[in-house]
Amino acid sequence: MLIDVKNLYKIYNEGKENEVRALDGIDLQIDRGEFVAIIGASGSGKSTLMNVLGLLDIPTYGEYHLDGTDVTTLTDKQQAHMRNKQIGFIFQGYNLIPALSAAENVELPLIYQGMGIDNREVRVEEALQKVAMFDRADHKPAEMSGGQQQRVAIARAIAPHPPIIMADEPTGALDSKTGRHVLEILHTLHQEMGTTVILITHDNSIAATAERVVRISDGKIIYDGDKEGAGL
Amino acid sequence: MNLRQAFKIAIKSIAAKKGRSALTMLGIIIGLSAVIILVSFAKGQNKWLEDYYASMVDNSISIQAWKYDGTDVSEKLYSYCQTLDEYVKGVTPVGNYWRSLKVTYGAKTLSDMNTDWESMPQLYFGNQQYGLCMGYTIAKGRDLTYIDIENLNHVCVIGSKTASVLFNYADPIGETIVINEVPMTVVGVYAETDPNNYSGKDLVILAPYTVTRDFGRVEIEQYQMVAKDAASAPMAVTLVKGYLKGLIGDNGYYYVQNESQWIDQSNEQNLMQQMFLGGIAAISLLVGGIGIMNIMLVTVTERTREIGIRKAIGAERKSIIAQFLIEACLICGIGGIIGIAIGYLGTAIVCQLVLKFISWPSMTVTLGSFAFSVAMGVIFGLYPAVKASGLQPVEALRAD
Repeated sequence: MLIDVKNLYKIYNEGKENEVRALDGIDLQIDRGEFVAIIGASGSGKSTLMNVLGLLDIPTYGEYHLDGTDVTTLTDKQQAHMRNKQIGFIFQGYNLIPALSAAENVELPLIYQGMGIDNREVRVEEALQKVAMFDRADHKPAEMSGGQQQRVAIARAIAPHPPIIMADEPTGALDSKTGRHVLEILHTLHQEMGTTVILITHDNSIAATAERVVRISDGKIIYDGDKEGAGL
Repeated sequence: MNLRQAFKIAIKSIAAKKGRSALTMLGIIIGLSAVIILVSFAKGQNKWLEDYYASMVDNSISIQAWKYDGTDVSEKLYSYCQTLDEYVKGVTPVGNYWRSLKVTYGAKTLSDMNTDWESMPQLYFGNQQYGLCMGYTIAKGRDLTYIDIENLNHVCVIGSKTASVLFNYADPIGETIVINEVPMTVVGVYAETDPNNYSGKDLVILAPYTVTRDFGRVEIEQYQMVAKDAASAPMAVTLVKGYLKGLIGDNGYYYVQNESQWIDQSNEQNLMQQMFLGGIAAISLLVGGIGIMNIMLVTVTERTREIGIRKAIGAERKSIIAQFLIEACLICGIGGIIGIAIGYLGTAIVCQLVLKFISWPSMTVTLGSFAFSVAMGVIFGLYPAVKASGLQPVEALRAD
């Protein structure tokens, strides 16, 4: 099992009047090569779930094994390595570094990996080619449209060849046509490279392209199955 | 991730944010160069003052005295001063010819009409000890002698600048010049005392004080003495004051001043000025430091997000801190070096223009202000990195 989560809680202000249970006892298993959409209304806890799954945030309680490793016991440094090698993130707001060019943004996780310059150049080109952005390699984020920035963000996510891609509302800030294009790229990755894709969305039509749909409400999983069962 | 990669990332980051890097550098450059220029200039000015006072005759004493009823006290005063040889090396009357002067040598005539003050000689009267009392030494020929004074000889000794103005490079000794229709033979030339001709001290003609009547009425009311040493000077001053009190009392004016009192005053002034300029330097350093701090802190939010992104894609905490440390050191170091260069250049220009010599900044000032600026830059440059790299990535990403 690639991702194995048991009894996961993320509680803010625990024990106080304004206690919020963003994750309230999540059990979730995701296998290698799956394409999973996590859906739910805003505030349902789906982004918190992605942050915890992606090691961007720590759960309050619960077990989380990633590729057999108990990540709750990892040091800060080990978690950084895990994020670097295992997971590629795609955010709604792209989160590119504004001062760096497209190629430099894509190169960054490879530098942190300690990869040599020759390999980095190959990987950067390969990743940008995959999202059809190689001709814009020298452009800064501000010189690109939202869709182009998101494609660069995807290139950055896939450049280290991570087994998992986590995308939090990747099409949320894009128009529907550009959004569909971004979605196609994710599907292509999934099919060609066997990458596990976890897609967070509130958009049912996007969720409907996934094999498996997990619906979250008030921090709990209320549905986990195929898209037909989810009523999409 | 090794040091080389941290360097690479830091350099990329600096190059990518040229505007901000330049502003940070500018803060350091201005602060540092201002301090260096101010402090060096102050130091130079002090040295200028010291040199100026040192150029005045040591242990010299100026005396002025007259009576309201016009009775001549000069004979008595002069005689009294000549009895002070226990404390005094020399004494001379000092007469300055204030009326308009015309000096002719051969076909060359200098007068107030055709010569500006920078090359118009001044006529003074004194005795054979005038040169000693005023700090001249003979470069050529001889000084006035007792015989010249007694015999009312029409001879004169001229300053080096007077010699060059009147004679160019010819030898003045034995030549006759005509001063206001009175022929005078040049017997000596004083050595140069003031190369820049600030004081006009080399642009003089000295004649025996006994020939003043040939030039019309020239009052001798001033005497110049030179004490044997620094300890004798105050004693001589006291004695002359006592004598003049008895001679003149409330019926006139007298004034006895030892030049070393001036030097004491100027030392006090120097100290004040040094403290004042040190204060200005400290303030400009502080302002520069606050400027650096502001620029660094203004970007904390932006940088916190950047740190969140870097953490999300797998940067370790130490890589982030290393990057920010290298970035801050490079920016501040380069800015600091440019600041020092501009500081030295500015010092050279300002000193050359105002003081006519260059007072280079001391190593203490240079390195001290450099260290302070760089420390400010590094501390405040590192602050967001230390703070944000300890956050969970999601918290850092949320910064706005």
